[in-house]
Amino acid sequence: MTQSRQPVTSRPYSHAPEYASGGPAPDSLADILERVLDKGIVIAGDIRVNLLDIELLTIKIRLLVVSVDKAEEMGIDWWRNDPMLNTSAQELNEENRQLRQRIEELESGSGSSGGGSGG
Amino acid sequence: MAEHGRYLFAIGRGIDGETVASTTGLRTAPLALVEHRGLQAVVCDVDLADFGEEALVRNLEDLRWLEEVARGHDHVVRTVGAEATIAPMRLVTILSGDASVRDRIEELHDELVDVLDRVDGRREWSVKAYAVPGREEPGPMSPRGTGSGSGAAYLQRKKEQAARRRTASERAVQVADEVHAHLAQHAVAGRRLQPQDPKLTGRTEPMILNGAYLVDVEHGEAFAAAVAEIDGRTIDATIEAQGPWPPYSFAVLE
Repeated sequence: MTQSRQPVTSRPYSHAPEYASGGPAPDSLADILERVLDKGIVIAGDIRVNLLDIELLTIKIRLLVVSVDKAEEMGIDWWRNDPMLNTSAQELNEENRQLRQRIEELESGSGSSGGGSGG
Repeated sequence: MAEHGRYLFAIGRGIDGETVASTTGLRTAPLALVEHRGLQAVVCDVDLADFGEEALVRNLEDLRWLEEVARGHDHVVRTVGAEATIAPMRLVTILSGDASVRDRIEELHDELVDVLDRVDGRREWSVKAYAVPGREEPGPMSPRGTGSGSGAAYLQRKKEQAARRRTASERAVQVADEVHAHLAQHAVAGRRLQPQDPKLTGRTEPMILNGAYLVDVEHGEAFAAAVAEIDGRTIDATIEAQGPWPPYSFAVLE
């Protein structure tokens, strides 16, 4: 039955369930991105977005961001200012750079640096 | 002349034309419905200067741009999905025009109908459980000063600490399994998503369960009550529900 009214917690944009005392904050950017970036039906658009780029973005966001405001509060603002100012962002950027490089190597079939030299 | 594409938010049925007319899409562009073979696509125009292939690669790296689009996408999906059966699309699904939208519906018609049948009259709830710090039992203290020197005692303490950490993390896994199994009984379907990193949640307690549950609309209150109930009797974790919203995690093509 779809006609019945929604439960009380479903008022549009009432994100915090009413039964929760001292309830959670409204949807964080992380929660929204988790829903819209990682989910939903995937169909081939006419505008092709390179999924690899999105994967990297997802890695970045999964690790880092609460919300823009919160992140700024925490002093994480590498997307606007010099990334060198922030150590954790710097590490992450470096990690991203290495991941990109590795993906490029793999894609171009040149991941031939002697195979598994893990130690 | 700006070139435009059609941004596809969701495909569904029973979507109210007035709701669509009174909701704005991205960047204040009006929403529109494209109808084909009994299904409706919710779309709006986007400027390809921002949403073209090259622009997207650049813009998706811009957190503010991404946040605006993500929140706009979520807003539209939730608004049209509040009273209708919909399958949300992944972020930035962009087609060249309405004809192309109809082509996609034509190609995927039966699969889309199957998806919509599965989620009809159901909504998604998110439940996250966080470990409560310091709940692990102190564990037996090793007898001090029994013979061996401080080096051995130090190693013994280290071993005990490691054992306690192991116990705590085993307990967290067990609690997460129990909570998920319990809530799944109150839902049509349940999925466990990757718990979010503490850097991302902004909380010090580790997230031990990130669950998505598909629940009949009329059972929403009972589900929320079940979450509150298990939260109340689980001392090792704080359990929080959010929702309901459209079935993002359950509208997937087989």
